[in-house]
Amino acid sequence: MFNNAMGLILADNKKISLGELSNPRALSAVPFGGRYRIIDFMLSDMVNSGIKNVGVLTYNKYKSLMDHVGTGAAWSLDRKNDGLHILPPYVNSEATAANVQGDEELTGVLDFLRQSRTTYVIISAANVVLNTTFDEFIKSHEQSGADISVMYNRDGIKFGSPSYILELDDDGFVKDMLYNPPKPVSNKCSLGILVLRRDLLIDIIARQMSHGKTHFGIHSIVKMYDELKVHGFEYGGTALRINNVHSYFRSSMSLLNEGVRNDLFWSGEPIYTKVKDEAPTLYFDNADAKNCIVSDGCRIYGRIEESVIFRSVTVSKNTTLKNCVVMQDVHISENCHLENVILDKNAFVRPGVRLVGHPDYPIVIGKGAGI
Amino acid sequence: MAKAEVVAMILAGGQGARLGVLTKKIAKPAVPFGSRYRIIDFPLSNCVNSGIEIVGVLSQYQPLALNTYVGNGHPWDLDRQNAGAYILPPFQKSGKSDWYKGTANAIYQNKDFLDDCNPKYVVILSGDHIYKMDYSAMLKSHIERGADATVAVYEVPWEEAPRFGILNTEGDDSIVEFEEKPAKPKSNLASMGVYVFTWDVLREALIKDEADENSNNDFGKNIIPMLLADGRKLFAYRFAGYWKDVGTISSLWETNMDILDKPEDINLVDRSWRIFSRNPVKPSQYIGSEGKVTNSALTDGCRIYGDVIHSVLSNSVVVEKGAVVKDCVLLPGVVVKAGAHLERCIVDFGTIIGENVKAGPSVTGEGPYTNHKICSEGIVVFERGLRIKADSVIPGNSMIDSDIEVSDEESVIESTFRV
Repeated sequence: MFNNAMGLILADNKKISLGELSNPRALSAVPFGGRYRIIDFMLSDMVNSGIKNVGVLTYNKYKSLMDHVGTGAAWSLDRKNDGLHILPPYVNSEATAANVQGDEELTGVLDFLRQSRTTYVIISAANVVLNTTFDEFIKSHEQSGADISVMYNRDGIKFGSPSYILELDDDGFVKDMLYNPPKPVSNKCSLGILVLRRDLLIDIIARQMSHGKTHFGIHSIVKMYDELKVHGFEYGGTALRINNVHSYFRSSMSLLNEGVRNDLFWSGEPIYTKVKDEAPTLYFDNADAKNCIVSDGCRIYGRIEESVIFRSVTVSKNTTLKNCVVMQDVHISENCHLENVILDKNAFVRPGVRLVGHPDYPIVIGKGAGI
Repeated sequence: MAKAEVVAMILAGGQGARLGVLTKKIAKPAVPFGSRYRIIDFPLSNCVNSGIEIVGVLSQYQPLALNTYVGNGHPWDLDRQNAGAYILPPFQKSGKSDWYKGTANAIYQNKDFLDDCNPKYVVILSGDHIYKMDYSAMLKSHIERGADATVAVYEVPWEEAPRFGILNTEGDDSIVEFEEKPAKPKSNLASMGVYVFTWDVLREALIKDEADENSNNDFGKNIIPMLLADGRKLFAYRFAGYWKDVGTISSLWETNMDILDKPEDINLVDRSWRIFSRNPVKPSQYIGSEGKVTNSALTDGCRIYGDVIHSVLSNSVVVEKGAVVKDCVLLPGVVVKAGAHLERCIVDFGTIIGENVKAGPSVTGEGPYTNHKICSEGIVVFERGLRIKADSVIPGNSMIDSDIEVSDEESVIESTFRV
């Protein structure tokens, strides 16, 4: 297990909106896969790679994220040395919450990076779900002699915008990067995960700040392929990108595929998340679950099909759910029929409701909504 | 050292021999229960929910699993700066050292621990009951009545009273007599093994009891009668909620089934009195297209491709296609291979039931594993870490134990492995 790296997760992305799902929370705090939040995967990947120092960079709506990660105990990141650090923007007396500028955000990151002693930094975007360790990635980075390595896979533009398509030369170095290209030059799509030396990252950020840049993005670093050697590293396992509601829904549904599930949950290291101490899930007399992911604390009286059910959800009698994503504490009353619906936390569906979305355009019911 | 007005001590050192192979490697309080829990989660969570922050866990028999499970007490919020869960094994002393001889002796040996905590009251609990109880209400009654000791009692049906330690009381619930398993009970108030003592009084009694060489050093048999004889004020505290002893295979099985048949009795979803546990790090459960789950309790990591009917499954259980699991209690990591048919089985950690195995009361007759002493009501118990031969046929009331010597043809065990 590699140990000479620290981690930096950009917990939100100004280019990605999941509509009602990301309104109340940062992108990486969006619930995913029954009992997780998106960030759980990257945090676990880092911890499973032996990383003991992780910064989570946020600029907005970070309450739900902070509630979730807490002290980092669930990931064994509640440490005296290093551990988990939430890096919200530095807000000084002149800046109000509404006009926080990016340079405050960057000052915090620089301080955090300077305090560490590791050689490398792994930086990751907020929107990617995969189960891996970074040993190979770092090894390949060292062997390539590159300044920066970027992880990609061959998904092309299938997860929709934002997609960063890489063009590599014969030695695997990036020679071009295209943002949402209408005609992709390759199917190599960046996963938004980088490794580079910590001192180089400090240098890059400091230079960006002195040029008046206020925002720190993964792909602004990859874009430096003209002056720095940026190497591509292909990831062959399952990687899901959450780029919009559509890809969120499709990624959620892909968990019902045995191969995807095995790759994300059963073949590698465990994915950690905040524990909830819910009761076991009870299936009653007429419960009928087919091809479903179901989490703890649920009460299933009705029929659920091809769905992802989070913790403490009630599905009442004579109710059918098909192709739904149902988040924590949702109550669905009797005689309902829901198809292609995403229900955010605490939503309440009254008896007899019929809602049918389209698989390409699911209906999203916001957090706490009553139907 | 931590100081507190109340300290709880959980007696978790007993073997629980009546659970047969289930307690071969682990102490009874560490036995999984109710899909998500271990038995000790109930007293530990009750303590925390009652506001008791110092909890001693007295472990002795096969303590490894229990000690690791309780650990630093974090899952129960018992990892406090100046309080928390303390594992208290027997230890070597400069003078005479001994194992815990009885329940009272276990507390006696940890007199120094209690003296350092300097509590006014000590709550003594056992690690083998499933119940939700507010010990602070009992403590309040203890204080209000100016009692020296308060014993929680449960009204059992009269015909069952001879199986329990029975307390005979007067109109104000003051205790006048304790009878262990009386043939002709004078009361139906059974001791729940939950005691509140004023520490000074208990301390004195423990020292006196220790000096008596003929004593069994047991709370029920010795301490309570001694306090009564000394004219101390003892009261019964009536508890009316759900309370089940899980000391035998049949009661463990029945209590698991209660979660399915009477979920509102123990009410595990009550967020005001949550039962905390050390959570497995596993993904959500998955029910396949050909799986069918009814009247059952499941938790994280289960993968179901067959039929699960009226059963309680712990984490990471796999039921393959065409397998039928009915009225069973499957502990963590059990695998039921395709076509197997299990009924009334309790299967311990990780055991793999081979293809087309048939086990349960519908298989009649007796076999080399028949064990009427441990098993009853047609229940079949499997030891942990066994690979059961495909096509084995196992009658009800069997205990599959790798230590039983059975000829190769008759043996249902293909191999054993460490879990």
